[in-house]
Amino acid sequence: MREISRRQALVGLGAFTFVLAGCGEGETAKKTADVSGNKAGAMASFGVGQQFKATEPISFDVLYNNHPFYPLKNDWLFWQELTKRTNVTLKPVAVPLSDYEKKRGLLVGSGQAPLIIPKTYHPAEEAFVASGAILPVSDYLDLMPNFKDKVAKWRLEPELNTFRQSDGRFYLLPGLHEDIWVDYSLAVRTDILEKHNLEIPKTWDELYTVLKALKAEYPDLYPMTDRWGVPTPGGNLLKIVAQAYGAKGGWEYQHATWDSAAGKFVYTGAMPGYKQMIEYLHKLVKEKLLDPESFTQQDEQAKQKFNSGKSFVISANAQTLINDHRTQLSKLVPGAKIVKIPVPLGPIGEYKIGVRTENGVMISKKALENKNFVAMMQFIDWLWYSDQGQEFAKWGVEGTTFTKDASGAYKLAEDVDFVGLNPGAPKHLQKDFGFHNGVFTYGGTTKLLHSTFSEEELAFQKVMNARKPWPVEPPHPFTDEEREQAALWETPLKDHVQQNTLKFILGERDLSEWDAYVKELEAKNMTSYINLVTTAYERFKKEHG
Amino acid sequence: MVTMARSRGYRVFQGINAVILTGVVIVTLYPFVNIIARSFSEERYIVTGQVNLLPRGFSLRTYEVVTADPMFWTNYRNTVVYTVVATAIAMVLTTCYAYVLSKKHLKGRTFLIWVAVFTMIFSGGLIPNYVLVNSLGMTNTIWAVVLPNAISVFNLLVMKTFFENLPQELEEAAAIDGLSTYGILWRVVLPLSKAVIATMLLFYAVSFWNSWFTAFLYLNEQELFPVTVYLRNIIAGATGAENAGAVIGEASQVASNIQSVTILLTVLPILAVYPFVQRYFVSGVMLGAVKG
Repeated sequence: MREISRRQALVGLGAFTFVLAGCGEGETAKKTADVSGNKAGAMASFGVGQQFKATEPISFDVLYNNHPFYPLKNDWLFWQELTKRTNVTLKPVAVPLSDYEKKRGLLVGSGQAPLIIPKTYHPAEEAFVASGAILPVSDYLDLMPNFKDKVAKWRLEPELNTFRQSDGRFYLLPGLHEDIWVDYSLAVRTDILEKHNLEIPKTWDELYTVLKALKAEYPDLYPMTDRWGVPTPGGNLLKIVAQAYGAKGGWEYQHATWDSAAGKFVYTGAMPGYKQMIEYLHKLVKEKLLDPESFTQQDEQAKQKFNSGKSFVISANAQTLINDHRTQLSKLVPGAKIVKIPVPLGPIGEYKIGVRTENGVMISKKALENKNFVAMMQFIDWLWYSDQGQEFAKWGVEGTTFTKDASGAYKLAEDVDFVGLNPGAPKHLQKDFGFHNGVFTYGGTTKLLHSTFSEEELAFQKVMNARKPWPVEPPHPFTDEEREQAALWETPLKDHVQQNTLKFILGERDLSEWDAYVKELEAKNMTSYINLVTTAYERFKKEHG
Repeated sequence: MVTMARSRGYRVFQGINAVILTGVVIVTLYPFVNIIARSFSEERYIVTGQVNLLPRGFSLRTYEVVTADPMFWTNYRNTVVYTVVATAIAMVLTTCYAYVLSKKHLKGRTFLIWVAVFTMIFSGGLIPNYVLVNSLGMTNTIWAVVLPNAISVFNLLVMKTFFENLPQELEEAAAIDGLSTYGILWRVVLPLSKAVIATMLLFYAVSFWNSWFTAFLYLNEQELFPVTVYLRNIIAGATGAENAGAVIGEASQVASNIQSVTILLTVLPILAVYPFVQRYFVSGVMLGAVKG
């Protein structure tokens, strides 16, 4: 039983046995398994710019993340048109969005997963690698011309490398973006700034000055309050402040950060940039410029404070700016104006920080036994990675749901609404047609991404896109044993960093105790952790770099 | 009973009791009243935190929106069916098992008790359970929901204890009068056990009504989901922002008044059952058949 395809029985209990199986495959890692027997329905030649159409009607199961805003309907035009164009019928296994991860884990673990498993956020796929239940997709990229084309054209290899496991392969097909897309920043009440002759802050230092000036005018208020504190304290705020100092915080916190000057990994929670982030935020809290509840309150409370005019600065993205704040403010505070400001800058300079990949598709390994395997890979390549497929998934059918003018600008059909582009229209692009569906729509060209943005948001994007992209960190994939070891160290480290970050910021612990804090991290195996990362990094560089 | 003279200490005790209990009532009732108020309010008042005990911007619009969704009613019907069938099965199985276990002369009784108690402490785990249910062909059928949790060991033990406390003499008398074993159970024991049966009915019905996890695990089609899964997804949808970067007005979010209405409609029926069954709780355990 040397073929990979036979090693499939009892995947649910397979974690123990398949680790061994995986070792044997190492040597042939780059060699694609023989798929000549799985070509039923596949196109003999399939290339970039070509419409995929299976040579016979085929169908695949797909795990479907059911969003309550546009609940799954089987009569959506999306399904019909997809079958018409590709000869492929997708059979959705509907899972409520609320517990998608749980069910996915269960289905993959018990070997009952559908062949196509979209909406998987890296590194969630790593949990399934050891069991051998999912396909090392990187071995089959030759079947996916559009994917390869976009990776080459947009130079996405460094990003893809961060998806690779210690065997040099990756198991998730991520959504690919042409450019870094920054959305989260701060919303600022510009009418208040104008009233007091203040400029929109461009840097964090300017923000401090502005807040200070506002505090002088409104001594009883906290000029800034923040949301997204639960479950990660300061999810967005810590993230964007840390970025300005070259560190990682909030939602983005990771234990290891690449220090490009020194050419090595350092521990994030102890690096100078992280300390500077804390110092900055501590200054805001100490001078009562930032509401100390920002890090722990529910979003609801933060929104109430901001919307009732008790606070003038809050974390926001394009959607919350409008839905959570502008519509409410306009009713409650006459004359209120808010703007999402470009992410304030810090000492590292004009960079935009983010990744060009997003959640993606896993494929069950049992797909290898399916006679339509090759057709399936071509289909996935077309739907998720070709320009035509992406346009179809996002905008739908030309003439029915949208029109395109000579310059290539998209316009919704008269009777179709989406994100308020056609308010009052009787039908909805997502609810009634199934397009712009989170399961099938992501990635793509900047042009496609921007096609649904408002003028205001495009202006924000223009400022952000003028900044240089922050270089991607080198990959450091762990082996299974290393991952286990790392997991044991990560939790106590993370708890300690998170707790003390808050204590320092809120002033419950004095910053003079920083060195003591670093020693405490040391006692929790900080250095051993970084050594582990370094080992993994160097091994990967030697073997696959 | 003659009214007893109450000492001062007792009155103070009662006073303090009343204060504490009133506090408890407020704490438990407030969220519920708030939900009711929200369900009749306009979204904008909710978002700005202006809705407390009374609705603001009174509107029935949300009720119309929620009840207009056919999936809501499909799932609602499922919940009713699942609850009724599951409770019926659970009651039959639990009563039979408990009655058998209450007989001290039963051979292998300890073993049978341990079989039940064992499952309280150890279980196969999620994935093996799923594999089992799946290979029995029960996924995507009502049986996946109503069978795996048919016997709650806790309820079983409560019932067993109740049966043990029934005077043996009654059953002996019935046996002498010529009733078979099943006749004794049906005509003598069960009529005397109304209290515990009502209690168990309520326990089971409430737990099946509220349960979402088994249905979520074993069912793959939204037409089969109970309303609790529907509700859970709606609540999750209110926080999951998608299509960020998009424009104006409408969001991919489920409004909080829709959540409130759904919550309310979901808990209402089971809430309405409570007062009717609860009186059995009080009288239940105290009841005895033989006086003196």
